[in-house]
Amino acid sequence: MKALIKSSTNRSILILLVGIFILMSILAPRKFLTFSNMISMAYQLPLIAFLSIGMMISMLTGGINLAIIATANFTGIIIFSILQIFAGEATSQASILQSLIALGGGLIAALVIGAVMGYLIAYIEVPAILATLAVMILLQGVNVVLTKGYTLSGFPSFITNIGNGTVGRIPIPTIILIVVCIILYVVLRKTVFGRSLYILGANPIAAKFSNVNVRASLMGAYMLSAFFSALTAFIMMGQFNSVKANYAESYLLVAVLACFLGGVDPFGGTGKLTGMVLSIISLQLISTGVTILRMDPFFIQAMWGVIIIALIVANKFGKQIKETRRLRTARLEQKSEEKVKNRNRW
Amino acid sequence: MLKKLLRYNESYLFILILLISIIITIANPNFLTFENILGFLKSYSMIGIMAVGTLFVLILGGTPDVSFTAIAQVAEYATAVITLAIGGNIFLAILMACIMGMIMGIINGLIIHYFRVSTIIVTIATFNIYYGLMYVITEGKLINVVPKMFENFGNTLLFPTTTEIGGTYGLALMPILWFVSLILGWFILRKTFLGRSIFAMGGNEVAAERIGINTMFVRIFVFGFVGFLSGLAAVVHLSIVQAVVPNIIVGKELEVIAAVVIGGASVFGGRGTVIGTFLGVLLFAIINNGLTLLNVSSYWYNITIGIIITSAVTVSAYQKLRQRRTRVNVKIENGEGIK
Repeated sequence: MKALIKSSTNRSILILLVGIFILMSILAPRKFLTFSNMISMAYQLPLIAFLSIGMMISMLTGGINLAIIATANFTGIIIFSILQIFAGEATSQASILQSLIALGGGLIAALVIGAVMGYLIAYIEVPAILATLAVMILLQGVNVVLTKGYTLSGFPSFITNIGNGTVGRIPIPTIILIVVCIILYVVLRKTVFGRSLYILGANPIAAKFSNVNVRASLMGAYMLSAFFSALTAFIMMGQFNSVKANYAESYLLVAVLACFLGGVDPFGGTGKLTGMVLSIISLQLISTGVTILRMDPFFIQAMWGVIIIALIVANKFGKQIKETRRLRTARLEQKSEEKVKNRNRW
Repeated sequence: MLKKLLRYNESYLFILILLISIIITIANPNFLTFENILGFLKSYSMIGIMAVGTLFVLILGGTPDVSFTAIAQVAEYATAVITLAIGGNIFLAILMACIMGMIMGIINGLIIHYFRVSTIIVTIATFNIYYGLMYVITEGKLINVVPKMFENFGNTLLFPTTTEIGGTYGLALMPILWFVSLILGWFILRKTFLGRSIFAMGGNEVAAERIGINTMFVRIFVFGFVGFLSGLAAVVHLSIVQAVVPNIIVGKELEVIAAVVIGGASVFGGRGTVIGTFLGVLLFAIINNGLTLLNVSSYWYNITIGIIITSAVTVSAYQKLRQRRTRVNVKIENGEGIK
């Protein structure tokens, strides 16, 4: 907890989060501060969280993954296609074993996409933004061709429960999110793979000389990123009860935004999972608040932009204030040293 | 001569376009008629004009701008509303749209310069602000009736020719605006100190600053120019569609960036040509048009574009990788590099 507050980017996002929470509690206490509202937020949170974390992992290495949403939709469509092979028209009657095989197939499809992107970026040295943009456009095309532009629905309850079910009153997707976040936290902090992601984002040459297998780690990063797209797909299927070629496409820029708010450096090397979680919760609070207050959804879009600019400005002035403070203390120290020197001379 | 030409990325792109054109022409000879070519040039002139702006941003270096579609959307809407209210002529409308776009672009440039944040982050933010505010103010209403002048401007044809079945075709004014912005872009990049400064900043910003380039002015010029072209593209789009749908331009930004990148512009800055950008947009236009002529469902458009982009970026990166490897090998053979 102490470490959470200590980091300066975390502090500003924490202030933002608490500020929004208090503001919402004052503006709409009856609707906002209710248990059911908290549950509904917990239910919506995982979708954007998984997408943003997938984006964050690619950004840690100094890249970007523009294909996260296309990969997620592709995964969902592959799962549906496998179910169709097993159960024909009656996809919602598929058995648990068949559903498990379908989920596994979808996961493998996502990992293959991640491996292809990772191979292009790590071994052929295509710039990440180009490789993922190309794969994104390609996958969008594949998705449209596979679904013929239709919305495909009819999933067995086993699959929809992942995104839609509850244990007690807590939504299953929230439980998955918490478990995955804890595992990812350990992976990023304590494992060789996690640490090498940071170092290769900060300085790939230094990473190479520190005996990090740069290419393999980079490829692993994009596979991990695609894994989070697959998790997004699992939840999307339950929450929308259907798959489509272009679900959630507007979340792409939101995911980049969440990373920026969470203190992830787009040039790589810095970024904490704790900051990301805080930033995702703030974004969720904002969008819930807007819905409760019945504001224009486009107003919130403008608000997000204003918040980023405000944060950019705040970061700049925060740095400046720190710098002047440091200079002043340095000058004071210098003066006192001079005094001591002068005294000694006498 | 041939060997020299093969050194350029653009030559490969040109050969690719030629091959695709030949294939389409064999399948459907209607492709190679003036009517068809002028038609798809007209419908891609908006993307073409925006691509020139994106080229400037990519040469300047850093991440691409994504807000130009929002700028064009806002400029289009505002121009339609204002001209409906006060009238005026088409030149005034173009001037108005360009100035509005320029102001929005300059705001982007100022934020990027003063706060030293990556372009993509700032432009995502301003994209949301411009587009969101437009929707809030206008409530997303469609404008079905726009002043007559846009229709006149859009339907004016140079060298009109009548076809056998009675239709007329000719060179519309939009592709001319596209070519004018291409030539303007070429002139600025190749023939002015400003253009050379953009390349210098894309190569190494610190070095550019040391040799006395006013980096603030150059950066603000580039983003202002992007806004200017977005405003121009907005009027072009308005004249073609002759109605305002408030979400029809946004969402095209990645397609424009892809076209410029296919044209050989480097995402690391400092490299890119106007010819390449033109060919990149032309490739997209030909594929789109060809699929229609070949009676292929438009579902396949994204797949085709995706395959071409993926293979283009892979091949060009692979070539660079091999060049670097051979260079290292030559050095080792000559005894350099081992000390």
